[in-house]
Amino acid sequence: MRRLRWLLVPILVVPLGWLLFTGFGRDPREVASPLIGQPAPSWSFSTLAGNLLSTDDLAGRPYVVNFWASWCGPCVDEHPILTGTHETFGDELTMVGVLYQDAATDAEAFLARYGDSGYAHVLDPDGRLAIDYGVTGPPETFFVDADGIIRAKQFGPLTDAIMAERLAVIGLDG
Amino acid sequence: MIPTIGHASVVVGLALTVYAVVAFVLAARGADPRLVTSGRRAVIGSFAAAGVGCVAMTISLLAHDFSVLYVAENNASTTPPFISAISLWAALEGSILFWALLATGWAALVLWRHRDRHPALMPWVGATLASVNVFFFAVMVWPGNPFLRTAPMGTEGLGPNALLQNHPFMALHPPLLYLGYTGLAVPFAFGIAALITRRLDEEWLRIVRRWTLIPWIFLTLGIVAGAWWSYEVLGWGGYWAWDPVENAALLPWLTATAFIHSSMVAERRGGLRIWSVALVIATFVLTLVGTFLTRSGVVASVHSFTQSAIGPWFLAAILIALAGALTLLVWRLPQLIGGGRPSGTVSRESAFLFNNVLFLGLTFAILFGTLLPLLVGATSGDTISVGAPWFNTVTAPIFIALLFLMGVGPALPWGTASWATVRERFTIPLLAAVLVTAAALALGLRNAGSVGTLGLAIFVGGVMVDEVRRGALARARSRDEDPATAFWRLTTRNRRRYGGYTVHLGVLVMAVAVAVSSGLAIDRTVTVEPGETARIGAYEITHQRLVVEPLADDARVIETRAEITYAGPQSGSLGTALRDYPNSPTAIATPAVRTSLAEDLYVTLLASDPETGAVTLHVFVNPLVVWIWIGGAIVGIGSAFAIWPERRARPVTLEQPQAVGAPSTEGA
Repeated sequence: MRRLRWLLVPILVVPLGWLLFTGFGRDPREVASPLIGQPAPSWSFSTLAGNLLSTDDLAGRPYVVNFWASWCGPCVDEHPILTGTHETFGDELTMVGVLYQDAATDAEAFLARYGDSGYAHVLDPDGRLAIDYGVTGPPETFFVDADGIIRAKQFGPLTDAIMAERLAVIGLDG
Repeated sequence: MIPTIGHASVVVGLALTVYAVVAFVLAARGADPRLVTSGRRAVIGSFAAAGVGCVAMTISLLAHDFSVLYVAENNASTTPPFISAISLWAALEGSILFWALLATGWAALVLWRHRDRHPALMPWVGATLASVNVFFFAVMVWPGNPFLRTAPMGTEGLGPNALLQNHPFMALHPPLLYLGYTGLAVPFAFGIAALITRRLDEEWLRIVRRWTLIPWIFLTLGIVAGAWWSYEVLGWGGYWAWDPVENAALLPWLTATAFIHSSMVAERRGGLRIWSVALVIATFVLTLVGTFLTRSGVVASVHSFTQSAIGPWFLAAILIALAGALTLLVWRLPQLIGGGRPSGTVSRESAFLFNNVLFLGLTFAILFGTLLPLLVGATSGDTISVGAPWFNTVTAPIFIALLFLMGVGPALPWGTASWATVRERFTIPLLAAVLVTAAALALGLRNAGSVGTLGLAIFVGGVMVDEVRRGALARARSRDEDPATAFWRLTTRNRRRYGGYTVHLGVLVMAVAVAVSSGLAIDRTVTVEPGETARIGAYEITHQRLVVEPLADDARVIETRAEITYAGPQSGSLGTALRDYPNSPTAIATPAVRTSLAEDLYVTLLASDPETGAVTLHVFVNPLVVWIWIGGAIVGIGSAFAIWPERRARPVTLEQPQAVGAPSTEGA
């Protein structure tokens, strides 16, 4: 009986530690997107370079839509991952950046500072595309398969592991 | 240069606190006693080091030195000096620096104040406090370095968090809260010292009484100031949302309040030793859990800072503190058992114990509700949130029971109460409560919560007033003083008791204000064209015009403002706005609040149409809200009165030689 009292310590400490530990890596604001399994919204916007880009140009191949902004800190962290993915997959995968509540000049300064991504970024001046995709704040990234169906979403910054996992869902294995 | 000095001071602070831990432990284990002095000086030095760090950060913010990442992320070249200065605690790394300043300050103060006393306890108190501070400095040296540089250096920063820049309360709420949080490490340190040295009698309880009450006052005022800030800034018309971080501040407050009450019983009648130690441990661990919840981003909240690498460090600290303290507690269990004198079922002791049970019940309920989203997330992977209705339903009955005990407990005698005493003390207040409740019902007040709380408050207040009245009259009779003098002397010579009554009075005022303001508030959403008038309660609100312009003191911020005139119990004009900050994806509401003693008129702008000038307004008429803040102030005043040093027996004079040795009124 006297020894049993020592059990008090692990009984209190272990569950609390486990509970708080599971909180890491989960984002409490992350809710499942109702868009998964739905056709991606179609759009046509002008890019930072001044060309017109539309969903028709993307048809037939999987693509990634990344909402970002120059004022967003985590976007800096995921920038090299996006750039690296573009270099790895080349023509197999189209990547599109969408500016979220940001000015073109600020976005250009961001790309000049952190390195050009090599893929196109479109302006979404009225935030219409962000609304269509239900974006709450950058960065958010959507993965669309070759049939134009949204298959996965990442809320918050991407890591190499998350990127590989999401890309696998739309049929791309690095 | 200045950031380098700041970083160096943090490293020096870490070295000093590590040294202090070693010195105190060696001294406690019988090495050279001069090590205690040396350790104390190292702690005072760590306080100075944290001070230098805070000054360096403040200068960097004021100078907009964007080579420092923290400055670049929380400041812009247009940020006004006041906002720059308070940005020290506006985000993660800076707030830890500020935190370290306060934590080392408490440690230095305690060690200095008791430098010549309690030679057995103090080395362990010093070692415990210094260990806590080692953690904060280590966080700043490794995962949460506030002076981290950016390369290449940007020419403009992101600017401060939009929510933090539109109210001066931001200068008040976090420092008060942090002072409370950090100060609650002191009773924990004494509890640990008492456990280690086996000095588990009443000595440590007497010392920590004041060291618990002072941080408790700061924590109380910090929580009230936070509620006030949320009311004035967030624009949803309320002041308490059961947000995880509000709960995180409330949890240690509840256990600290329970300890303040139970320690009185333990001091006076012995016993409750396990309970007292467990409460100070729980309080301290809950302050760490609260910090963890705010700083690690594991729960969604207005307060949660971005996810960062310091989460695991905090988790480790929580587990080490909890496991260490519990191990010590279990080890000393045989010495902790027993020692109390028995007492009757209806007595002040039993009221205090019941009070503790209720406080603990509240703590568990709120902790459960706060951690439930984590538990569900961990087991099923779903994301849920536990909302205000759940918390209100679960906690309201406990709060009401506590309110009742608050009136009954202090009026009961220690030991055992007779029926005659009970009848004598409670009959008149009970009658008064019944009369007031009947009058409120007759006047047409139908909200059950409001009426019930009002009646209860009258009962409790009546018991208290009657108690003070009888005490003053008894003193006036026996000492031949006039009643006013008797009242003054009675209260100033029993500061603990009457300060406590004043705190209870403040709580009563807050309870009534909360019940009435939540039960009888009117709230409506209206859309009005320019020149159009809407009626809400007794008010007529007229929309004059819509203005869109940059802010005078920061042109990057665009304000969309509805200019309104209002007439009714109060009349005048107000502007309520939505502000677009360049670094915030959503516009920030700037509600207009017009306060009177009877009610607040609270107007928030929800939407506007720049073409027609039409606006959609959310208008609240919130009765008695100002009394919540007044009640908070009464609590502050009462607790300050309670800890004010009690005057010793009056100096002997020739006219009054009999004053010496006159029976003290202590414990009346």
